[in-house]
Amino acid sequence: MSRLEAKDVITGYGKHEVVHGVSLEAAAGAITCIFGPNGCGKSTFLKAVAGALPAWEGSVRLGDREISNRPVHEVVREGLVMMPQGGGAFPRLTVMENLRMGGHAIADARLVESRIEALLAEYPSLARRTGVAAGSLSGGEQMMLALARALVSEPRFILLDEPSAGLSPALVGETLERVRELTRRGIGILMVEQNIREALPIADKIYILTAGEKRFEGTPADVRDDAQLMSIYMGG
Amino acid sequence: MDLLLQTLANGILIGGVVATFAIGFQLTFGVLHVIDFAVGAWVILGGYLAYFMSSLLGVDGFLALPVAFVLFGTLGYLIGPIIYRVRNSRTARPELMALALTFGLFTLLRGGMLTFWGFNTRSVDTALSGGSLMIGPVAVPMLRVVAFAFAMAAAAALFFMLYRTRYGLAIRATAENRETAGLMGVDVHRLSATVYGIYAGLTAMAGVLMGAIYSVNPEIGLRYTLFAFFIAVLAGLGSVGGAILAALFLGIIEAVVATYWGSAYSHLAIFATLYLVLLVAPKGILGRGL
Repeated sequence: MSRLEAKDVITGYGKHEVVHGVSLEAAAGAITCIFGPNGCGKSTFLKAVAGALPAWEGSVRLGDREISNRPVHEVVREGLVMMPQGGGAFPRLTVMENLRMGGHAIADARLVESRIEALLAEYPSLARRTGVAAGSLSGGEQMMLALARALVSEPRFILLDEPSAGLSPALVGETLERVRELTRRGIGILMVEQNIREALPIADKIYILTAGEKRFEGTPADVRDDAQLMSIYMGG
Repeated sequence: MDLLLQTLANGILIGGVVATFAIGFQLTFGVLHVIDFAVGAWVILGGYLAYFMSSLLGVDGFLALPVAFVLFGTLGYLIGPIIYRVRNSRTARPELMALALTFGLFTLLRGGMLTFWGFNTRSVDTALSGGSLMIGPVAVPMLRVVAFAFAMAAAAALFFMLYRTRYGLAIRATAENRETAGLMGVDVHRLSATVYGIYAGLTAMAGVLMGAIYSVNPEIGLRYTLFAFFIAVLAGLGSVGGAILAALFLGIIEAVVATYWGSAYSHLAIFATLYLVLLVAPKGILGRGL
């Protein structure tokens, strides 16, 4: 089983250091959640893992391959896809074109088409609207599209930046349920969330960051047992 | 009536040639987020290439078309990364730095051309020069018809690439969101260089056609830069489809003004239209985006 392992990652924007040496491990087929208040550096850390931001120091390993400081477009080819906040569907491209972009890193165009066909069978709401511009889909549908698109490259790990952001409460549950399903195929999920109440029940492992440093590491049960954490993050 | 038809035909034919570099200009803005002031210089360089090929080598001016595409396409591919780096630098206002860079490039190219080739106006000889084609009552120069047809074919090829190939899809995705395109595995840096190369090559080809229709001298580069700006404002910055319509409209305005008031007023007419458009619809009137 491959796993995703970040060690002492330091990164930030420009000269401003945001993440001060965070280590983390995410297992295949499991959901690893990073919680923390706004501005704690959790999204910045996620970008560094995906290669969207260079890691200043530290290492990121996927399986036995070092992927830190590889250009972001090569990280996809290692089997790691990051979904930006809101999913990151290209609004003016059609649903089909968005899915094809998910397979951009794959040289064989026919393989991409056959994978898309298989995915559309699982996402019937998308299958009905392949010719529609992604921007005209609802927020929840765009999220589904982004998930399906991430699957086209058959990644080993998917990184999610606040999948619940901007979704209605009903859709948050549905989206997280979809995410849960992905782990049953052996895909590892590393996600950043604000919405602890919704994400805690589906998580296998929890990290909490504050001010760019790791504050807590454990299972959801550990979080529930920690009265102080519960009061800070769940409002009592 | 015949004069009006003649004027409209001429305007549309020229507009078609302008469209080729206008869509490249728009594409470059869409992908690199750079307003390329040097666009007029690429046009003129294409014209000079055709002039030198026909006068020094004695070949037909149109033979310069593929040479222009390869030569200036390669040059653009090499310059593209510099523009990309400046545009994405950590300076306070990278978009202004990039504008200053392309303005500098324009000035450098124009100055270089003036130094080496002087103020003289050169014309490009082709087998088609002088001939004309009768369409009903209207006589149009053969040269313009062929130039228009070639320009439209080049534009069609570009559209085919953008809308029917995987690489074109990656270009459109990058124009929409560069970060997300990178996450999907697009080498945005390299793609930007390629787009700048395609644009520079297309623009130099349009320059070959313009050189054959009119003539070339280093000073008229600014006129073509003005054309590209006009079209960008009318179509909305980055809109490729709108650029073709806007270019045809520009050609018609120019031809009508030149025929009925004199060509001295054509710039005035262009600026007046620009002013009106900015006043009424500052985001462009022909839709936006790729």
